[in-house]
Amino acid sequence: MNRTGPLAGIRVLEITKVWAGPYTGKLLAFLGAEVIKVESRANLDEMRAYGGVDIDSAPYFRSINQQVLSVQVDMKSDEGMAYLRRMIAMSDVLIDNLRPGAMERSGLSYDAVRAIRPGIIQLSIKMYGTDGPLGYQTGYAPCFAALGGLNALVGHDGETPAGINIRYGDSTVGASAALAIVAALHHRETTGEGQFIDLSAVETLSTMIGDSLFAYGLTGDLPRAQANAHADMAPHGCYPCIDGQWISIAVANDDEWTALVKTLRASALGQDAQFADHASRVDHSAELDAAIAAITITHDADTLSEALLMASVPAYKSQSSLDLIGSEALWSLGAYRLVTDARGDVRPVIGPGWRMAPDEAPIEKGAPLLGEHNAYVYGDLLGLDEAELADLVARRIAY
Amino acid sequence: MVIIETAERVCGEYAVRLLADFGAEVIKVERPGGAPTRAMGPFHEGQSTLFRYLNSNKKSVLLDLDRADDRALLDRLLARADALIDDHRPDWAAAHSLAHGSLPDLVHCAITPFGQAAPSHWQIARPINVMNAGGWAWHTPSETPADKPPLQGAGRFMSDYEAGIEAALCVAASLFARRRTGKGQAIDISEVAVQLSRADAVLGRMLAGDADPGPERTRYDMGGPGAAFACADGHVYLLMTTRAHWRGLCALMGDPDWATAFPDDWLEYHCTPDRVAEFRDHFRLWIVHQPKDAVSDAAQRAGVPLVQVNTAADIANHRQYAYRGYFQSLDGIAYPTAPYRMSASPVRIHAHAPAPGAHQGEAA
Repeated sequence: MNRTGPLAGIRVLEITKVWAGPYTGKLLAFLGAEVIKVESRANLDEMRAYGGVDIDSAPYFRSINQQVLSVQVDMKSDEGMAYLRRMIAMSDVLIDNLRPGAMERSGLSYDAVRAIRPGIIQLSIKMYGTDGPLGYQTGYAPCFAALGGLNALVGHDGETPAGINIRYGDSTVGASAALAIVAALHHRETTGEGQFIDLSAVETLSTMIGDSLFAYGLTGDLPRAQANAHADMAPHGCYPCIDGQWISIAVANDDEWTALVKTLRASALGQDAQFADHASRVDHSAELDAAIAAITITHDADTLSEALLMASVPAYKSQSSLDLIGSEALWSLGAYRLVTDARGDVRPVIGPGWRMAPDEAPIEKGAPLLGEHNAYVYGDLLGLDEAELADLVARRIAY
Repeated sequence: MVIIETAERVCGEYAVRLLADFGAEVIKVERPGGAPTRAMGPFHEGQSTLFRYLNSNKKSVLLDLDRADDRALLDRLLARADALIDDHRPDWAAAHSLAHGSLPDLVHCAITPFGQAAPSHWQIARPINVMNAGGWAWHTPSETPADKPPLQGAGRFMSDYEAGIEAALCVAASLFARRRTGKGQAIDISEVAVQLSRADAVLGRMLAGDADPGPERTRYDMGGPGAAFACADGHVYLLMTTRAHWRGLCALMGDPDWATAFPDDWLEYHCTPDRVAEFRDHFRLWIVHQPKDAVSDAAQRAGVPLVQVNTAADIANHRQYAYRGYFQSLDGIAYPTAPYRMSASPVRIHAHAPAPGAHQGEAA
């Protein structure tokens, strides 16, 4: 399939499920790679099953897997595996996020894979990585966030640190995997050598607090959950507004403080001795937070946010899902895109974090129907004719 | 590969560190007096630990980009470079002849809070603003009541690290294309768009009309009893979604009477808020007496996703991290590195963060 974008010409096979692995595939596809998802009705990505009965229009699956291709291969049959090996022989990258040991049991250890395709880059995502004393363990994203040290740093004052939202983590793992793969493509371009990349989901989330881990190693001061406090800024936090809204404000210096006081028409705050300079504001941040909250509570968060930004005070409304989807700004900035699937359904999806020019890969295709690209993969790539493919389908090799 | 860094925020500095760790030669351009992150705590022996973390494996030159002669020196650096990474506001970049799109031969990546097309006055947003603009703060922690503030996440820089990964990914991909085609690329990273992308499986379903968006703080939540609990020596996190998880947990607790009163399939079919609350009330009284390592190991063997809420101290001494070499020691200083172990081109910390202008002579 002819594509443009910086990774045009790179072919990726993904044997992935749920979120982290598919997210890797999506990012690579959004950068122009040809990403082929290996699937089977006998061993379905559960995201095709959640939230509906039609595996071709499952909401979770469609919200992640845009712009990738789907080929059906029964990996439990020898014949299916033989075709999969032929696909591997034509690929640059192989990704999986199956349970520990599953790839090896399917005959797809790195040694076996590189025997099929020297120079291949194989990346495997596991909770704790592929081997080591805890390499056998499995878990879900909230476990990664707890184990990786991230959740211990998230919580309201005086409470058990509840951690970041339960949905967080998988996509970050997937993004980190995509980066490692592109780095390995560079190494292959330089040396001709492929490699195995062993990714730990738990360690990925540790990198989100890397500075805290490093500082602890040097200072011995254990970092703890601090709600919204910041050692160098005050006010720094979220403050209530009308109708249950909240606004985030971050003030780092006297100029921003003066502008904040003026915008809030809070001259009493400006004259309060305990808030007289930046150091004293940081020292009295709890009192300051309470005083700011007593003022913001009468404001509309959007209006106040715009006024503060106009006055050069870093601020933004805390956006709910309703705010995000209704945001004209996000729509006009291209954060959301429209894709079309094989049935002609047009669907809004969340775009990537980037725009690029002149060589941006188009994002226009929705998530694939199961086996939508069987003809392309078995036919155009492997050279089977229509009758041979029909036979594979009938015998449930392409299933 | 030679990468020039004019970035002065955590997002840009982290993006470049990720690339430096892969072996790119990085020249960091610092303002006279040094980069702003050198002044950010916590400090150790007079140095910013943050700066040291973000700037290992880099070289440093001091340039005053407001002065014509120093600006000309930057042009000479760019002439032998492959990429430029910046994270200033577009108006700053334009004023210093570094406008986005003005360097067509290079991979030129600019990271801003809302992307190049956004209103200029929005581009002063800080990480806590980005976390709130992008929706994760509103929904953090899970089950937050309406009268508690949204939270910024862990530490001070989560949105910076997320944007940094995205920037490094796009730069690496575009440098790969440049090796093959010789063409540059202008990359525009929006920190808020990165936040949205990370929520694709949740917010994306709402965007498409498959799930209802709403003003509630709990709209990203999954329901169910998953939560953090205090235990004998810290905290653990329990995630339980299936009958097998429940049976495993009951066995772990010694099948107490209260648990046998729950329907066996309650997690799948009868997971009401009342039942979740009742479960937690009982479970809390049991788990509070359990040491976290022992109970987590037993849970893993019983097939229950119950894990330690690790602190920085736990991770510093963690046997799996040690086995994988997540921390690399250079002159006795332990650097957190990367979550990917690469068999042929492993990430390596070979130099501490530079002194300001340490490579001035080399650059000139």
